[in-house]
Amino acid sequence: MHHAYIDKFAYQDSPIHRLDARVKFIITVVFTAVVISLPRTSVSILFCYAVGPFVVLVMGGIPLRFVLKHILYVSPFVLVLALTGPWYDRTAATVVFGPWIWHTTVGWMRCWSILGKFVVTMLALIALSSTTRFANLLAGLQRLGVPRLLVIQMGFLYRYIFLLIDSAHHILRARAARSAGGVAFGRGVKFAAAMVGSLFVRSIDTAEHINSAMQARGFDGNWRTINRLQVRVVDSVFVAIAVSFVLGLYFFVKPVLG
Amino acid sequence: MVKAIEVQNFSYKYPDGTIALNGITLDVEYGQRLALIGPNGAGKSTLLLAITGFVRGTGRVVIDGMEITNGNLKKVRSSIGCCLENPEDQLFMPTLFDDVAFGPLNMGLNSEQVRERVTLALTEVGLAGMAERAPHHLSAGQKRAAAIATVLSMSPKIITLDEPDGSLDPRNRDNLVKLLVGLSQTLVIATCNMDFAAAVSDKAVVIDGGRVVAAGPAKQIMSDSKLMTSHGLEVPRKFINGYSAA
Repeated sequence: MHHAYIDKFAYQDSPIHRLDARVKFIITVVFTAVVISLPRTSVSILFCYAVGPFVVLVMGGIPLRFVLKHILYVSPFVLVLALTGPWYDRTAATVVFGPWIWHTTVGWMRCWSILGKFVVTMLALIALSSTTRFANLLAGLQRLGVPRLLVIQMGFLYRYIFLLIDSAHHILRARAARSAGGVAFGRGVKFAAAMVGSLFVRSIDTAEHINSAMQARGFDGNWRTINRLQVRVVDSVFVAIAVSFVLGLYFFVKPVLG
Repeated sequence: MVKAIEVQNFSYKYPDGTIALNGITLDVEYGQRLALIGPNGAGKSTLLLAITGFVRGTGRVVIDGMEITNGNLKKVRSSIGCCLENPEDQLFMPTLFDDVAFGPLNMGLNSEQVRERVTLALTEVGLAGMAERAPHHLSAGQKRAAAIATVLSMSPKIITLDEPDGSLDPRNRDNLVKLLVGLSQTLVIATCNMDFAAAVSDKAVVIDGGRVVAAGPAKQIMSDSKLMTSHGLEVPRKFINGYSAA
């Protein structure tokens, strides 16, 4: 099993893990929306915003290395977007941070703003996904009114992504065992296409079997589940602290622009 | 007298014209544990699919007194539960609890009854306290046990199991044998493992080329070395004269 990293820390036990999934989800969405809506001049303030998810990660016992690794995985996509900023907008600007003053361009400020917001929102998302079991998150989304079909699809995706990854690993291992040191680019592409085809056929096969398993257990098209989530006093306390933190930063900490 | 399963002259062809089952006739009494044995490609899995109404051919299949028709599949399936060959296909929900609760919820039971059934089924298969686990965090033996729990929670009278011993180590296989022998339901178990079949069954049916070639008490059928070897099978160690398990 090489896919344990996907929900490696979600099954730990900590005060953060025990919080209601709906509460964590809503706070994460609100936090992300607030961070994204900050003006591009608020790069320095983003450090303050990062404190929130950082504390959650520490309390949840999530190693920093794991968090940084996941941010790095996704960063290439955002880097491309961020680095286009300095090319397009070269208007001069001055940034003041405490006793330090920088002369830069609006493009670079936009670039840092995008990167900063990306890191802070990623911290929040990793904090959510690493401290919440996916099953609870799905149950929470369902209770919050997210369309049932979407929740079911996400449930199947989560359940079977592990099998798909396992199958892909097995195929890659079989190729490595017979590639005798290396494979030419052309053959590599051909192999990749064959692998995708094979995984696709297996997926259809699996889907048919699952359908049989569901029908055998009386499935008639209506998806029935039991609500096992419960909002407790500690969840309310968490909401109060999180809301105070976000609102406090939003209304009382302003960016300094020279 | 009503039998748990009655199959009369049942035949089925694959869409490409290959004959999978050819005039199968067999019956299973309530409480019996039947082993369907035969070489690979004999038609064991297809017969299980026919018994559970997933494959429709010619002939009659009667389950718990109900002949399978298009109109009564749901009712029939409340009497017969099936465990597929691959437990990964059986465990499709994000947690074990949701998986085991899936059937009872579809039966229209209320939350309390469902919780009770989930707890009972998981305890029966030795997975008590693991309800919140995700299926991909279970071992092969646990997945097999969990797949059986998903069926037990519906309290069916009959359970079919397709190669339930597949990919299990000896310890997990022994645990599975104990679990199956301890169940009160009628069991139909398709397997290529003769030792396993001998350990769990009291009746055996040999299938080859889509036909029933022999049926009778498990010991009588499986200790017939001529019959067994002529169909690519072997006599289980339990029935070899002079052999004694350590």
